[in-house]
Amino acid sequence: MFDHLLNPRSIAIIGASSDEKKIGNVVVKNLIYFNYSGRIYPVNPKSEKIYGLKTYPSIEDINDEIDLAIITLSAPLVPDAVEACVKKNVKYVIVIAGGFSETGEKGAELEREILQKINGTNTRIIGPNTVGIYVPRSNVSTALTLPERTALPGDGKIAFISQSGALGLLTMDTISEYGTGISAFINLGNRIDLSENELLKYFENDEKTGSIVLYIENFKDGREFYKVAKETILKKPIVVLKSGRTSEGAKAASLHTGALSSNDAITDGVLRQAGIIRAYSETELMDYGKVLAYQRPLFGDRIAIITTAGGLGVITADYLVSENNGVGMKLANLSEETKKKIKENIVPFGSAENPIDLTADGSTEQYSRVLEILNYDQNVDGIIVYALFQTAKVDETLIDVLEKYMKGKPMVVGILGSKIGKRMILEAERRGIPAFPSMERTVKAIKVLYMRGKYLKGRNKYGK
Amino acid sequence: MENRILEEKEVKDLLSRYGIRVPKGIVVKNLPDKIDIDFPVVLKVSDPGILHKSDVGGVILNIKDFDELNEKFSIMKKKFPESKFLIESMEKPGIEVIVGVIKDKTFGESIMFGLGGIFTELYRDVSFRLIPIDEYDAREMINEIKARKIFDGFRNIKVDKESVIDLLLKVSRLVMDMGGKVDQLDLNPVIVRDDGSVVVDAKMVVIP
Repeated sequence: MFDHLLNPRSIAIIGASSDEKKIGNVVVKNLIYFNYSGRIYPVNPKSEKIYGLKTYPSIEDINDEIDLAIITLSAPLVPDAVEACVKKNVKYVIVIAGGFSETGEKGAELEREILQKINGTNTRIIGPNTVGIYVPRSNVSTALTLPERTALPGDGKIAFISQSGALGLLTMDTISEYGTGISAFINLGNRIDLSENELLKYFENDEKTGSIVLYIENFKDGREFYKVAKETILKKPIVVLKSGRTSEGAKAASLHTGALSSNDAITDGVLRQAGIIRAYSETELMDYGKVLAYQRPLFGDRIAIITTAGGLGVITADYLVSENNGVGMKLANLSEETKKKIKENIVPFGSAENPIDLTADGSTEQYSRVLEILNYDQNVDGIIVYALFQTAKVDETLIDVLEKYMKGKPMVVGILGSKIGKRMILEAERRGIPAFPSMERTVKAIKVLYMRGKYLKGRNKYGK
Repeated sequence: MENRILEEKEVKDLLSRYGIRVPKGIVVKNLPDKIDIDFPVVLKVSDPGILHKSDVGGVILNIKDFDELNEKFSIMKKKFPESKFLIESMEKPGIEVIVGVIKDKTFGESIMFGLGGIFTELYRDVSFRLIPIDEYDAREMINEIKARKIFDGFRNIKVDKESVIDLLLKVSRLVMDMGGKVDQLDLNPVIVRDDGSVVVDAKMVVIP
């Protein structure tokens, strides 16, 4: 459906410019910078060449099929440019400029004009007022980022749909630090045509996508979103960061139910009903998307913790079990056999009780044995491993051990620290192991696996 | 046309048709010589113009015998000379919950569940789902509220949780059957005991 958008064979830039201050310049430059391998066609009636590329006076002069056109012109010029794209039978058009409905009635009129032009045609619009798309797999970026100031993530499994461009770009910049990748980023902008609902359907069947995360300010069609999401969720996990939580916005109602209903309370119910995980910050959004893309769901809430630092074990246990400032799960009650076996494998002053403490004397080998023992214990549903590389007996091959146990019970890894710690998170990331740089983020991640498992199980048991 | 507020008895008859328990009751203009309802009873003004009956002194609870009913009826009659009255058997106490329906502008018909009384409003301890709901949704609605423990035998309070699930499902079906005509619905309170759930007060606004 959206293959030609995310993997375009040819891109035309309408409003391409050799003036470095113009958007039409940055877009061309970025396509070249990201090594986009398809055909680039700058459209500009005035200049002959931009960065060595031949320019065309109009899109109709290009003797090629155009999968994607990027319009970098200002708002009043957009309707005519869209019309030219429709004539050329361009499949997707990204309209970058602002100055539309977000500024008032005049801008809204321009949007209606654009919609009229594409009505009944095969041309689809992304935006306007959008930074467009970023797709690592096809090296397409329409975002106006400065490479010396902004990092963009590599190829990965998270599909990221955002109503806000800046939030999207900043979040991608942030996750790049730990090497988390994305399968695609799409900024909906003013969303006059292409909406989150169609994209959900697309990513449901996109092989590269393991989870879908959305930043949403308001839904284009709430009912439709619910229907699509409830269907998609059976195949791909969905995480939503929905803003506007505190604005009441409930309609004037005469009955009690009306007084108790805020938009957000209903939104919250809808998200739960569809099996969507709700995030409350950009960090949660991407962490949850990551853990759900990398790890299988958890169908029980009894968790075993392995650590070499006792403090981490007890804090994590608190955070895991507590309902307040915690996630309300359970500390697994290890079987006697498990405890006995663990005891045989760790130092006498370590703890064979959950949380299992290998102590600073713990080694890669001990991690490996304990992981194996826990994977055989029927009382354990999932495992949190703190892979702490700071002590002498733990070496980098611990990552190999963790990779091996990705096939075992659902496991989430905490790797703390800024030197070897950060380096090993990057390595974990390369191998698709869900690793997080803090206890809080690690515990929340395992909770999310459980929420997904619980939903799938409940729906299966009681749902229609 | 404007939305119409149904009379309480109309709403309760509708609920009855869906197998939802309501107290036995009759609507009268004047008090008959005898009534076929066991005492104690409740006397309520029944007038679509009066949506919030208790606020205007239109509800008298726990009337113990016919003499008392006679006396209270004449007081009410003086207060609301043009109105009709609903006489209902007084339900035994239990846990009070609220079940409601509202049309949300983003998502459409939504069903709400919460614990009744002032604390619900104070803490906004309610859960929502879109209609139609299935059994999983109904169970989760109860599990989601902070006061959920009360449905799982907290302090040996016995409540029939399954009857609440059944009620939520039936309300969802009723709203579906009415094909978009329900603007708002309040079942508040619903009394939940160990022998099931009974809707004690019901208000409905329909779109003509």
